[in-house]
Amino acid sequence: MGKIVAVTGNEAGAEALRQVNPDVCGAYPITPQTDMMQRFSSFVNDGKVDTELILVESEHSSMSACIGAAAGGGRVVTATSSQGLALMWEMLFIAAGDRLPIVMPVVNRALSAPLNIHGDHSDAMGARDSGWIQLWSENAQEAYDNIIQAFRIAEHMDVRLPVMVCLDGFIISHSIERVEYLDDQTVKKFVGNYKQVNPLLDIKKPKSFGPLVLPDLYHEYKRAQHEVMTKVADVVLDVAADFKKISGREYGLFESYKLKDADVALVILNSAAGTAKDVVDDFRKKGIKAGLLKPRLFRPFPYEEIAKALKNAKAVCVLDRADSFGAYGPLFVEINAATMHLKNRPLMTNKIYGLGGRDFMPDQAEEALSELVDIVKKGKVKTVKEYIGVRE
Amino acid sequence: MLEIKFSGRGGQGVVVASQILGLAFFKDGKYPQCYSVFGGERRGAPLVSFLRVDAKKILLKCEIRQPGELVCFDDSLVDPADIKESLVPGGRILINTRRPPEAFSELNHFDLGFIDALTVSHEMGLGKIINTTMVGAYCRFAGHLDLDRVLEAVAELAPAEREANMEAARRAFEVMRN
Repeated sequence: MGKIVAVTGNEAGAEALRQVNPDVCGAYPITPQTDMMQRFSSFVNDGKVDTELILVESEHSSMSACIGAAAGGGRVVTATSSQGLALMWEMLFIAAGDRLPIVMPVVNRALSAPLNIHGDHSDAMGARDSGWIQLWSENAQEAYDNIIQAFRIAEHMDVRLPVMVCLDGFIISHSIERVEYLDDQTVKKFVGNYKQVNPLLDIKKPKSFGPLVLPDLYHEYKRAQHEVMTKVADVVLDVAADFKKISGREYGLFESYKLKDADVALVILNSAAGTAKDVVDDFRKKGIKAGLLKPRLFRPFPYEEIAKALKNAKAVCVLDRADSFGAYGPLFVEINAATMHLKNRPLMTNKIYGLGGRDFMPDQAEEALSELVDIVKKGKVKTVKEYIGVRE
Repeated sequence: MLEIKFSGRGGQGVVVASQILGLAFFKDGKYPQCYSVFGGERRGAPLVSFLRVDAKKILLKCEIRQPGELVCFDDSLVDPADIKESLVPGGRILINTRRPPEAFSELNHFDLGFIDALTVSHEMGLGKIINTTMVGAYCRFAGHLDLDRVLEAVAELAPAEREANMEAARRAFEVMRN
């Protein structure tokens, strides 16, 4: 039997990792993730897991240690945030290029400068092109569930790619909420035994990872990486179907909230989607057909499925908790690409919100939805990209 | 939905107090959501923590702008003008203070409760850490929870001095005034 607990997002993440009991963990502290790896270190110390914990001197080393251990043939985890993920940057590409199924919770935090420890999505968005699969989580429950599913996705024989599981720093990592845990045996059975592919430690069959590949083959190598990504969505859905059997909880590539008949819709990632759903409910009560789409799988991005989900909307506001300075927000760009072939393309706006932990309040979602109602009436968008919740 | 704001200073145990009450409400079958605003943590700096409680899953994920209840760990942080603007009319305020109730007459249209938390925590050998004292006083004042639920949560979350912390909550439950 599982149990219901009241825990923080970090605690739920550490518990998922304990239940999976990986072979190796590279750990380096960074706010707001520190607490997750600290809890996991306690599990190692107390003999609750068999994991070999490698304490390193930086995140670059942490990911390097993970890459070595995964290439060696182990099931490997780490966790990070913000500058830590940024410092891992070159190693992220190596983990993906070497097809190493490392699982890494990313507790989303803003990037310096100026220094800020609070939640936004700049860190993970900066890593979106690294070849990692990205799952995003609204709350502690989804973070826990996504981490468990991430192992099955990463280690699937058609995939063998690293996965990052994103959850919002402080808002989720440090907030206590009700979470339903599965029991240890169920998780163990669900995740299954780790299957090695070309382990370096099999010294009878020597092999190389990441050797020099010149223009005669590099291009083909990258196309292979692109092709494997096209198989990920189906695996994510299969794993979600299996996960529903053990948990009763349903996951897809994204969540549609009252979207089917919606005239106006918000697209928003992670914790702020919770607040926005309440506002969607308020609009529905007023007789306005509002809806919401919350992406879960951001890499690979499910363009066709999302286009189908948004095809009836007349106007859509994409809210980004990260900016690409001098360009539109990263989520907005994807949603635009997703809808480009629709016959009746929705009118679209892009709001940048909540950077560096600025609270996303219901009135910001209200403002965005009300503007969409007006846009539908007038048939045109005045300003595409705009910062909201800004002190003037 | 119940919305509680905790205000105090770094080192008083404000965040843990909100977590203890969150856990107590969870043990009572409710859905708590405990959220703290972290800054450059340092002793003595003002800080706030929030607790939402509902009978169903809470979707809202932001700080509480208009709390129904306010728990003040430090009477020097009580700003009547600010409270009047933010607290729900007729809302509940629990204040840790050694001053007489008349000192807070500007807030008389709210439901006021007082506790001399430092005296209780000193008696229990807990020094300036008054979080368990405050949750005991809150339990009596607000009346949402059985003392036993709160004591269970204290026992689970008190990092040290478990018995003394439980006793502090019990004592505060007896001696708070309203």
